[in-house]
Amino acid sequence: MKIEEEKTMSNEATLNGMEMEDDDPEVSDSELESGEDEEDVKLTEPSKTAVYNKDGLLDKLGDISWPANVDWTHKLSVDIEQEQDVDVNDDLTRELAFYTQALEGARQAFVKFQSAGLPFLRPTDYYAEMVKSDSHMEKVKGRLLAEKRKAEEADERRKARDNKKLAKEVQTQKQKERTKQKKDEIESVKKWRKQRQQTGFPTVGKDDGDLSFAFEDGKSFERSSKKRPGVSPGDRSGGKARQGGGKGNKDFDRKKKDKDRKDSKFGFGGRKGLKKQNTAETTNDFRAFKSSFPSKKKQKSFDTN
Amino acid sequence: MGKKRKQSEAEIAADVKKEEIAPERPKRTLLGFKTNPENKRENETPGFRNKEKVLVTCSRRISYRYRHLMLNLVDLLPHCKKDNKVEAKESKGTALNELVELKSCSSCLFFECRKGKDLYLWMAKCPNGPSVKFLVNAVHTMEELKLTGNHLKGSRPILTFSSKFDEKPHWTLLKEMITQIFGIPKDHRKSKPYHDHVFVFSIADDHIWFRNYQISCPYNGSQKLDRGDLEKMTLIEVGPRFCLNPIKVFGGSFGGPTLYENPFYVSPNQIRSLEKRKMAGKYAKKVKAKTRRKMHELENPLEVDEFADMWKE
Repeated sequence: MKIEEEKTMSNEATLNGMEMEDDDPEVSDSELESGEDEEDVKLTEPSKTAVYNKDGLLDKLGDISWPANVDWTHKLSVDIEQEQDVDVNDDLTRELAFYTQALEGARQAFVKFQSAGLPFLRPTDYYAEMVKSDSHMEKVKGRLLAEKRKAEEADERRKARDNKKLAKEVQTQKQKERTKQKKDEIESVKKWRKQRQQTGFPTVGKDDGDLSFAFEDGKSFERSSKKRPGVSPGDRSGGKARQGGGKGNKDFDRKKKDKDRKDSKFGFGGRKGLKKQNTAETTNDFRAFKSSFPSKKKQKSFDTN
Repeated sequence: MGKKRKQSEAEIAADVKKEEIAPERPKRTLLGFKTNPENKRENETPGFRNKEKVLVTCSRRISYRYRHLMLNLVDLLPHCKKDNKVEAKESKGTALNELVELKSCSSCLFFECRKGKDLYLWMAKCPNGPSVKFLVNAVHTMEELKLTGNHLKGSRPILTFSSKFDEKPHWTLLKEMITQIFGIPKDHRKSKPYHDHVFVFSIADDHIWFRNYQISCPYNGSQKLDRGDLEKMTLIEVGPRFCLNPIKVFGGSFGGPTLYENPFYVSPNQIRSLEKRKMAGKYAKKVKAKTRRKMHELENPLEVDEFADMWKE
């Protein structure tokens, strides 16, 4: 039974999805109610005892029906050919069938009115009471607008997300380009030097003057062993991993930096084990040390005396 | 000189505009709208006048939703009279017949709510029948915000029927009743002279589905519509929506011999009891399965395993 109920609920949900999302609590509530009804069970076989008095029905029809030659304007009824059976559980096709029937009927009626020279639609300057009040229509309009706004906002968010992704890609591209450029430059300088040596340019002194570069012996890309402040010893990226390109206002920047430092020290980013170890630097650092021994203080005061 | 010419031009333009609009408006008199007498009396049956009047009531203890549906229908049918709630007893038929006669109506829509959840609709021609009892499903009222259309109160609807209504005699009878009850009489004093909505009565899955659409046409001020506008005609749903499942057709009004009985009909009470029974059997089934298993095990004992103590030593 539970499964059945769920089925009806999903059925309702699709119905809602078809005609705008439904978040009016009253409506959705009542829809569940109606959904309960809609799950109608039919007998698989027609019951044998059911009455079907064809003559009686036709007799009654003859009794109540209007004279045959009544003008169409009294009835205003239009018969529409229905080609095939609609699947009742498929909300979309069912509603579409009703819609097309109504549209076809309206068109036929229009033609009939036109040929009889009768007015059809309300002229724009004809004002009269409507079935739905103005306040109700205001609500309807508000809902439509809210829905539109919601859709727009969602769109904007999606666009921003996409842009962000794109920006990342551009960034990596740029970085690659930069490294490549650097490599090229080094290469060209090397080439130039080689050429120079080959041509037999007289060397002055022991070294090549300005042109002896550190990178010649391939050590250039080694990290300098100098320790950077605020970087834990285990952090192999040298504290660079955490320094994202933050372009905010100053206050925000500062806060972020503080946070980063704390993070690097106490948990986020980097290896924990080495980070918490003392190094020579930290052991010699007495900044945080507070001499709170009273004896020392006493001594001090004694000294001054 | 130049100035004068300009003025005359403007005058001509105004004249042209006036001519475009002016002849289309029907003349209004104190008694209503005047239509041309020559195109009126041509193919009309003399002596026929639709004097349909519909009594709309409901039973006591009707739920708010169904009451709203009823009020929506009251809004849609200017030729109806709403009356107080009626106690839904066995003898309600006679009471309703009396009421209808008292109100000098010729047909009746009676909304009967049972158990606060099932809505039945009686559609009856009074005083000598026939009458139909429907079960109403899938109710959506006009108040729902997703139904965005609106139309004139009291404008006469165009009734559209699917072709299935002509296939069987009971459908034909229902069609006739619906046209008489839901069609607003021509020249009714509360009706408006324009037609801006369509009722859909369609048969799907042996149910009658009702929809109400507003006709909206982007047209440019003048009353004249042409083929191009016809193509651009769109519909907006106004509501309400409901689905009628015919249960029985009676010969008289609120009673009489049964002429038709829906062979597929299962009452909502039966459906509910069936579901309950299904739920109720759960524990009993479990116990039964357990005992069955036990019996099975006793009946088919396992063969003695000759290798059971092979590795014991």
